[in-house]
Amino acid sequence: MSVSDGESPVTAPAGGQAHERKAPRAAVAPLTLIRHALTTREGSIIVITAALTVYFSLSLSVFFTTANFENLLPYFAPYAILAAGEVFLMINGEIDLSIGGCYLFAPLMFYEFHNGGIPLIPCTILALIVCMGIGVFNGFVTAVLGVNSFITTLGTLFTLEGLTLIVSHAEQLEMPGAQVVSNATGNHITSFASAFGAGTYSELFWALGIVLVLQVALTRTRWGLHTIAVGSNRIAAAEAGVKVRTVLIRNFVVCSTLAGFVGILEAVRSNSITPDPGAANSVLLDAIAAAVIGGTLLAGGSGTVVGAMIGALFLGVLQDGLAIKGVNADYLDFYLGVAILVAMLINRYVGRARRRSGLG
Amino acid sequence: MIVAPVSADDDVLRVEHIAKSFGPVTALRDVSLHLKKGEVLGLLGDNGAGKSTLIKTICGFQKQDSGQMWLKGQPYEPKSVEQARTLGVDVVYQDLALIDELSVYQNMFLCREERRSRLPFLDRRRMKREARAALNEIGIHLPRLDVPVARLSGGQRQSIAVARGVYSEADILLLDEPLAAMGAKEGAMILELIARLKAEGELSMIMILHNYVHVLESCDRVNMIVDGVIALDKPTAETSLEELTEIVVDEYRRARLAAQAQEAADAAAEASAPAAE
Ligand SMILES: Nc1ncnc2c1ncn2[C@@H]1O[C@H](COP(=O)(O)OP(=O)(O)O)[C@@H](O)[C@H]1O
Ligand SMILES: [Mg+2]
Repeated sequence: MSVSDGESPVTAPAGGQAHERKAPRAAVAPLTLIRHALTTREGSIIVITAALTVYFSLSLSVFFTTANFENLLPYFAPYAILAAGEVFLMINGEIDLSIGGCYLFAPLMFYEFHNGGIPLIPCTILALIVCMGIGVFNGFVTAVLGVNSFITTLGTLFTLEGLTLIVSHAEQLEMPGAQVVSNATGNHITSFASAFGAGTYSELFWALGIVLVLQVALTRTRWGLHTIAVGSNRIAAAEAGVKVRTVLIRNFVVCSTLAGFVGILEAVRSNSITPDPGAANSVLLDAIAAAVIGGTLLAGGSGTVVGAMIGALFLGVLQDGLAIKGVNADYLDFYLGVAILVAMLINRYVGRARRRSGLG
Repeated sequence: MIVAPVSADDDVLRVEHIAKSFGPVTALRDVSLHLKKGEVLGLLGDNGAGKSTLIKTICGFQKQDSGQMWLKGQPYEPKSVEQARTLGVDVVYQDLALIDELSVYQNMFLCREERRSRLPFLDRRRMKREARAALNEIGIHLPRLDVPVARLSGGQRQSIAVARGVYSEADILLLDEPLAAMGAKEGAMILELIARLKAEGELSMIMILHNYVHVLESCDRVNMIVDGVIALDKPTAETSLEELTEIVVDEYRRARLAAQAQEAADAAAEASAPAAE
């Protein structure tokens, strides 16, 4: 499939977030459509994920079923949310490793607030406010004091993971509000639990909602525009009047808050607070992988929230499919790693073709 | 205590005794200048004379170490580019301050985005329309406004930066080498635009140019920065290409003599150093 090598930037069909779509719908040939899909920023990862899904569906009879879709959700939805926040920082040219820390620490804060006699919803809000504070701290140290964000957030990550171990005495706790309650109508979970993680589709709805809001914010608001400007050329952005520090701090806050929120959702879903830094670190890396696979550049200036969500879906489909295939657990990470590399290489190739074809 | 200058009546901007250093480098030693309403002031000076530093101080991008500024008779201490802009001071930077990843119209409206009524959503169609109108008026015809500016030529990029400054509703516009990347035709279009704006008489401008012919053509008055101070302040009608060139050549000769003297002194010091031991 040739990706319009010969076309000039002027006549090439529009694609990508920053572009008008004026092509007459009725006249679009299938080939053009495929080319169109491939040349949008999210296009290649959509095609790769679709191909992987088709492969698993054909080779595994149980793969394309509702039951398996529900199995897959926890492998996908939390990462889509985490990656959405990370995308904003990565577009800024920064990174937030402390999302692993917030992910671990927020449910513990929730637990402590609840022990103090505070109701569930206010506990959630308070725990998220703590996460916002962590975001402000990360943002301040990075944007105002000028410490590299990798270092800043690595410090915050270890600090929060350590604090979680200290406060919880490294013991697993039961998540308040997540227990199954019995009454006249039988056993069921509370409405708090079903809304915040334990309901089958709860995390999916949160993920879709958050991704939608953030993608719109990225492409259609001042905040998004200024985020891209800061990541693309920080000096020029400042000269034009963009409040660079404010933009950075705000994005750190969004990232930490979403991470805390995912931590709470997952604790409710599993009905437990597990102070396991190793698990949190792997969650953190998967989220960053999802963002990168989805087409967001680590170097900043460009990225997509929807792409990151598809990247998370790709990782979810892959893990779920390999698990069903009964791949030896020892091989799982190996396949995962190779698949990530292959997906990235395809992404890069298509990305270059897109730039050559004159699309954004 | 510093008092407002007496002749402030028709001065829209006064800069008094501005100094600015970057570590060991003194960019501006003691710069004072003024700008009348509707006037075009040409600012000359060698590379590294501090012209851009002065412009960035006036537009609120950086703060002076000492000295005062007055805008329409009021003390003027911009805390940010945005604040200066709301006070009516806008700028076209030497480095253009364009964002490669953003499109033409997004760059033109960066930090002055238009929104749909009270919602936070950008009104892209309106911004595109207005950007198109502004570029047409200058005479720059770009086939598309939604391509990233990274794809455009140097001259096109500069036109976009100039258009952004000119159509910003500012009443003081600072232009830092607005013709640097332009071909002859584009440059002529910009100079024509400046002449048109001057004829309207609403906008006051400080313009840094390297071509003395352009300065004599387009400016009402010319100031030259030498050694961190304003060394010349004359109406363009009273100066000439020869005089401006003479000053620069003179300055160059003096600098060379000074350097030679310094070299000789260094050599002498070196020669006498072992003897002192
Ligand atoms: N941000 C900065 N940091 C350090 N030095 C600077 C900075 N900006 C300007 N300078 C120095 O100040 C002097 C004046 O620079 P500039 O105002 O850009 O000169 P001009 O525009 O007249 O060529 C130069 O020596 C330059 O190296
Ligand atoms: Mg300069």
